[in-house]
Amino acid sequence: MKFNSDPEWLKRQAALEDNCFVSVGGLVSAVEDLEQQSQQAITSRAVFVNLLNLTRREHELSWEQFSQKLDVDLTELIGIANDESYKPTPRTVTKIAHFLHVPAEKLFILSGLARAHDRQFQEAALRFAARSQPVKALSSEEHEALKEFVKFLCER
Amino acid sequence: MADKRTMTLNLTDQEMSLLEELSARRDVSKTALLRQALRLYQMVEVRLSRGEKLFFEDEQKKKAELVVV
Amino acid sequence: MKNRIRIIDNATGQPVEAELFDEVTVEHFIETQQEWRPIVLKAARQLAARGSHQLIPQHFHWDWTTKAPELNVLANTFYGIRYENKLQGLMKLETVGQFCSCRLPEQAGNALVYVDYVEVAPWNLKPLMSSLGEKARYNAIGSRLIEAAVLKSKEEDCKGRIGLHSLPITESFYAKACRMTPVGRDPAKQNLLWLEYTPEQAENFLTGAR
Repeated sequence: MKFNSDPEWLKRQAALEDNCFVSVGGLVSAVEDLEQQSQQAITSRAVFVNLLNLTRREHELSWEQFSQKLDVDLTELIGIANDESYKPTPRTVTKIAHFLHVPAEKLFILSGLARAHDRQFQEAALRFAARSQPVKALSSEEHEALKEFVKFLCER
Repeated sequence: MADKRTMTLNLTDQEMSLLEELSARRDVSKTALLRQALRLYQMVEVRLSRGEKLFFEDEQKKKAELVVV
Repeated sequence: MKNRIRIIDNATGQPVEAELFDEVTVEHFIETQQEWRPIVLKAARQLAARGSHQLIPQHFHWDWTTKAPELNVLANTFYGIRYENKLQGLMKLETVGQFCSCRLPEQAGNALVYVDYVEVAPWNLKPLMSSLGEKARYNAIGSRLIEAAVLKSKEEDCKGRIGLHSLPITESFYAKACRMTPVGRDPAKQNLLWLEYTPEQAENFLTGAR
């Protein structure tokens, strides 16, 4: 192997490399993990918002009425429903869980406050997300999806 | 680079044609292609000996296990 | 194989003589765990505390020792750079495997050497050392490793063709400092950017021709 012995070449490369990150490969596997985690968080969060929306519509409540029923601040609910980066408080999530009669820890995962390593849980959440449309009127199919998902959350 | 040893390789016409075709497609010499093939063979052997399986996957993500004898 | 190469000592800005070798052993992997990892972790914690999440090295939990079984597989070649009796960089190449084919249209299907893993000692990474209030020690380690990859490609009759998957954080090094050609995102590999050299580009990198 004949390496370049020109000091000018070396200095030029050093200047270009300065301030750069170089590592690949090891990074790749780490990024795969990170991306899976973040995708999981995004999916779960979308499912949480869908669940909230469908529950509200199932009970034919406005956001204001829903917030009163839950005993949760209205701005908190609107924040959850409209802002992906909004982090709900554990109290709010617990209140929602009580209203739905589902274990609070399951909703902690869905809301992004905790992380799941359970494949079945993720698959059930995905199925629910795929079957529900948060903006349209609650169809019978959505009604079934909501019932099935709440049942799944309660059973496990 | 490690020291190299030379050997004579006898191939049939068909094998030689294949070697020429593959080395042209990969844009490497016939020697380089055979060395790559040998390494690939070793890689497969090592992974199979660890209990791993070798699969081919088609576009529909259907997998077929390749049995190496 | 052992080669005398030069790297840059940041303290003086001048070249110093180091050694690039291919007889990488498990001891070298253990050395990275003992010498490199604690510094990477410390820097990651500092950056996290400051909220500079984008600068956190995503290889902080990478463990070279898991690569030990691959040392005796001929499809893999490992290179290390040593200076002052310390490992300054480590790289793993594949000369055979699923990523050893070119994707650039003008050389699609041609054989290439795949740069599977590269890591530079944390004390040589400026963004990392700044977070610890220290200066990076040596420079051009990454360039020397890429140079070794290109020379290996030539030895293997791949004419300097190499390819790799880059993270967003390392794209500027491979695309700008090494002037590799970005080919596109690879859905099979977390949408990472695939870059490769043609023989001409590899030669330009080796000689410094613009």
